[in-house]
Amino acid sequence: MSAPPKPVPLTTVESTETSESGAQTLTLSVGPQHSGSGHMRLIVEVDGDIIVNVAPDPGYVHRGIEKIIELRNIIKSIPVIERPSIIDASNLNHAWVRSIEEIQGVEVPRRGQYLRTLLNEMNRIMSHLYWLSIYGVFLGHTTMFMWPLGDRELFIDLAEKLTGARITYSYLVPGGVRRDLPPGFAEEAVKRTEYFEKRLKEYDRIFFNNPLFTSRAKGIGVLSKEKAIELGCTGPTLRGSGVDADLRKDEPYAAYPELDFEVSTRPDGDSFSRAMVHMDEMRESCKIIRQIVKKIPSGPIRRKAPIVLPRGVAYGRVESARAECSFYLIGEGGDKPYRAPNAASILSGREATSPIGHGISPVPTGIWPLFLRFCLETVWRTCLLPGGV
Amino acid sequence: MSLSHEREDALVQKLKENFPADIKETNIIRRARLEVTVAPEKIKDVAVFLRDKLGFDHPNGVSAVDYNRENRFEIVYHISSMRVKDMRDLVLDLKESVPRNAPKVGSLVSVWSGVENYERESFEMFGIEFDGHPRLEKLFLTDNWDGPPPLRKDIRFPTD
Repeated sequence: MSAPPKPVPLTTVESTETSESGAQTLTLSVGPQHSGSGHMRLIVEVDGDIIVNVAPDPGYVHRGIEKIIELRNIIKSIPVIERPSIIDASNLNHAWVRSIEEIQGVEVPRRGQYLRTLLNEMNRIMSHLYWLSIYGVFLGHTTMFMWPLGDRELFIDLAEKLTGARITYSYLVPGGVRRDLPPGFAEEAVKRTEYFEKRLKEYDRIFFNNPLFTSRAKGIGVLSKEKAIELGCTGPTLRGSGVDADLRKDEPYAAYPELDFEVSTRPDGDSFSRAMVHMDEMRESCKIIRQIVKKIPSGPIRRKAPIVLPRGVAYGRVESARAECSFYLIGEGGDKPYRAPNAASILSGREATSPIGHGISPVPTGIWPLFLRFCLETVWRTCLLPGGV
Repeated sequence: MSLSHEREDALVQKLKENFPADIKETNIIRRARLEVTVAPEKIKDVAVFLRDKLGFDHPNGVSAVDYNRENRFEIVYHISSMRVKDMRDLVLDLKESVPRNAPKVGSLVSVWSGVENYERESFEMFGIEFDGHPRLEKLFLTDNWDGPPPLRKDIRFPTD
């Protein structure tokens, strides 16, 4: 018999304590229902209005996907692999097939590499737009919630043309990709990315250059360069703290070595910097998509790969939209992996300490860029949020 | 891409020179991927050396692997370097083995604070205890979970 669950406090104020300095502090539960999206709880300790301590509680998001993978053929695991973060499905898929190919020693044809890169970059834009819309919700900016979600449809439709699916594509398979470019795709992609770049200027005008936003985002939730590295941050969080680390440049894979793009960094490490890194990356992704459809080589899209995983070990990683995503894959000669932990860049609980010293009101602004990450990245490790986001 | 492993060989050499008795096994999987197996009681010293002298300042993750047929757990710290720009493509797997019936190791949170939640996850999913961890309690499982650690190999699902 299992022990009865702990009683859940009915009020948001949990207890009153005396801190080390002798001041009386309150422990508040911010969430699981809060001003944004995603069920995520922060246990915040405040002294008056000033936060003195924060502990994140990700909730019951572990669905044991690591265990599910161990029981299935490596190909049958592909749709499962995408589930932990479906708004960035193809990048997770890419990390998985890269690990498999590393053990199998399979080379992907160049056209296949370009098509993989194309879908990855479209996914990066979709994921950043989703992020941006929820950022808008957190700030109470309804327009910034609706516009990005509307514009995300541009790329969802494009992905549907390419793969046949809108969100979870299962497009990358060991050895290459499933389908070739449909007719007329290049023109459509150029048209849509050019329109989208105009929309990004509108975003700047209504949101990013708006004092209502900048005054609430600058200097909030500062994460220093040293701290970001020590905590193992990757992706836009790390680049927002001034480190120019990007696996697309540092460990070039797929078609990235042949494409021209910049790595965006901002030195300040605050909420504003992280937001601007996302904006820059969407512009760069548009550039990459246009380059790909222009110079994609002809040839086969996939090479035959075995459906067994030979004995061996691989650590395949890619720069996904939110952070580095990697699989530590162990093969033992059968068609199932012995073990495949998804070593996504989960954030340390201590990252939540960045709003310490602020008042309680900027919590959503300061930590949202981090915490969407916390929710989704903890989720990446084998877990899943309800509804797939 | 060059096929030589000079950089990886040099790293292995430096580790072996400084810890001749404690490095049990090294393996260069391919360019930019290497595994180093260390005695559990010395892993902290090796980790501090890797961080301070060789530039491995960035923890990428921690994976626990259950080798139940060999009656042991393996704990793998995936670490990389941000400080040394030329080494950013390199991932070093720092490994240690513990017997399955007494899974207790030292925590590396004091070396890389980013491994805190990974170690907590290995604790609840595999039942491995990390000595010196600041907050070794459940992260994902329900508070009243009293079953065995669910990701161990001997746990079977009904669909299995």
